[in-house]
Amino acid sequence: MAQGRVLLADAAAQRAGVMAGVGVSSARALLPALSLRPRDLARESAAMQAVACWAGRFTPRVSLADDTVLLEIGRCLRLFGGLRALVATIGESAASLDLSVALAVAPTPLAAHWLALSGVAVVCTSPARLAQHLDPLPVTLLPARAAAALQGFGSTTLGAARRLPAAALARRIGADAVCLLARAFGELPDPRPDFVFPEQFSMSLPLPAAVEHAPVLVFAARRLVAALSGWLTARQAGVRRATLRLRHVSGETALSLGFSEPIADAGRIERVLRERLDRLTLTAPVESLCLDALEVAARPGHDGALFGDAGGERERMGALRERLGARLGETQVVFPAVCNDHRPECATRCGAQPEASPPLSSALLSSLLSSLPPRPLWLLAAPESLREVAGRPYRGGRLDLLTGPERIESGWWDEGERGTETGAVDVRRDYFIARDAGGRAVWIFRECRAPGGWFLHGFFS
Amino acid sequence: MNAVSLAEVLVRPDVWRGAAATAGVPVVRSGFAPLDAELPGGGWARGGLSELLCAGSGIGECSLLLPALASVQAEGRWVVLIAPPQVVYAPAWAERLDLARLLVVAPETQRDRVWAAEQSLSSGAPGAVLCWAPQVESTAVRRLQVAAATGGALGFLFRPESAGREPSAAPLRLQLGATPEGRLAVRMLKRRGPPCAETLLLDMSSRLMRSVAHESADLAGVAPAGAGARGLAVVSVA
Repeated sequence: MAQGRVLLADAAAQRAGVMAGVGVSSARALLPALSLRPRDLARESAAMQAVACWAGRFTPRVSLADDTVLLEIGRCLRLFGGLRALVATIGESAASLDLSVALAVAPTPLAAHWLALSGVAVVCTSPARLAQHLDPLPVTLLPARAAAALQGFGSTTLGAARRLPAAALARRIGADAVCLLARAFGELPDPRPDFVFPEQFSMSLPLPAAVEHAPVLVFAARRLVAALSGWLTARQAGVRRATLRLRHVSGETALSLGFSEPIADAGRIERVLRERLDRLTLTAPVESLCLDALEVAARPGHDGALFGDAGGERERMGALRERLGARLGETQVVFPAVCNDHRPECATRCGAQPEASPPLSSALLSSLLSSLPPRPLWLLAAPESLREVAGRPYRGGRLDLLTGPERIESGWWDEGERGTETGAVDVRRDYFIARDAGGRAVWIFRECRAPGGWFLHGFFS
Repeated sequence: MNAVSLAEVLVRPDVWRGAAATAGVPVVRSGFAPLDAELPGGGWARGGLSELLCAGSGIGECSLLLPALASVQAEGRWVVLIAPPQVVYAPAWAERLDLARLLVVAPETQRDRVWAAEQSLSSGAPGAVLCWAPQVESTAVRRLQVAAATGGALGFLFRPESAGREPSAAPLRLQLGATPEGRLAVRMLKRRGPPCAETLLLDMSSRLMRSVAHESADLAGVAPAGAGARGLAVVSVA
């Protein structure tokens, strides 16, 4: 309600006779249990902004007219596989976000606007047949003064109004209204200002009721994610890092979302979000959500492949990494790489990202490594001390030395300083390949420095 | 009671008939001729989960898979290791595989291991997924098999030897053991098609028997001059 009158009534209220335009006191008389909410223009405009951002997914040319979002779709029909498919996609996408929308397609923006307002779900693409759809619409779509004048002399539909002589009509209802009619019917051009997608994406969504369980927030956050995805698509960009802030009555919880590459796909963002929220225990009920895109990068378009789909695999792999990382933690998903160090403890480096440009190509590295003595696939986290029986290493049985020794002596510079905590130490060892009683091939070494002794260091698996 | 004809039953995808069922399955060659001869279709089945029951780590169970993993990578696809039993020693893996397409995932709990394996298999992104799971329920094995079939990847599940007594949904189950001479003994507990009673002995020791003429080659140093100049020799140890 606004200015003492009902603006919008839900189905239950309408059954009791409460209609739009009814005064507040009469409405209360009709339905004493009526709950009235004041109109919140700020929230309405924020919601419209979110819808406009979401619409960026379909077309870069979006414009806002009062309470309607206009999409110029003439140029993106091909991308979505035709008009019918595009309209269906928009409808499904809106339904999945729990938005109730009235869709109409027409050759002029004002005609589409009016058709949508009247709830006529029509898809009209030919200007010749536009009049047939517009004629039955009520004159109340025109400004109030013009509508009243037209109703006064018996024209209740737009078609009837247009049949009146134009010059006389302009004098009686005003040139503006005649101009609107001409624009709707495509007789005058109707340029619209484009909706300007904001530079920074930061959008908040108040929740209708405080939420106490984190997984439930996934559904609420979908609108924000859809808006982010549309905003990114319209800007041809991708997000690499975003934060979802969960606002409580006092304080907030921030969830940071990381992606392996700039992405704009709502499904992928949502999957990562879902993994994070599934694991979260809320300290206090959440009142509202706020999604900020922190790191946005241009996303290069990729070429479609005629045969096979190499780009798709890369993308699927990226999505898999994000999902695993979101649930298990980024440190548990690693890319091993070879370090230029002879000490076995230091030869592996585990990065959170695959090495962008390894110093050696894989084939060259492989041929270099195959010129070294064989190395085990598995290394023990710390060398395991072995018993010595009659000068021979012993582990559940005598170990037969197959090849060796191979001296590895390196790292004197690490001794004493950061040594123990990084595992990088000064080593002087003689490595052997041995076979145990069970037939397993193991990598063992004899410590050359005092106090000596045999150690197990790895398994050739 | 509904009368179902035999012909109707036979066209169902979950009914297989002896040897005929193994034809036409896309496979990746294992790289070991005696094993390929016994594996249904002549290699590791794509979209199938293979269970490897090992007596312990280090008997050659990974070397058994390396040729297949290398050919998966040669197709440009990724290999994912989930919960490997020890630290991955990159130089040894880099010798056989391309590390740029190797992902290692280390979930902490058993539930997360199965989850990670299921996600990886069903995503269709990696070409092969290896998962080490000491205790895994039979329902989880079934889920993994379904995930592997969805994604079309090679799925390998390493389980302890004792799991051989439990039934499993995996279409291929191999029991791996080592002979005292260090050969890998492969026994097929279950496969599509007629059962295989024979134990295959595969020689894995060639990877250990390599002596090197020049002692150390700096990794970042000289490029190899060619196979001859590297002076590789295979020595046999009695």
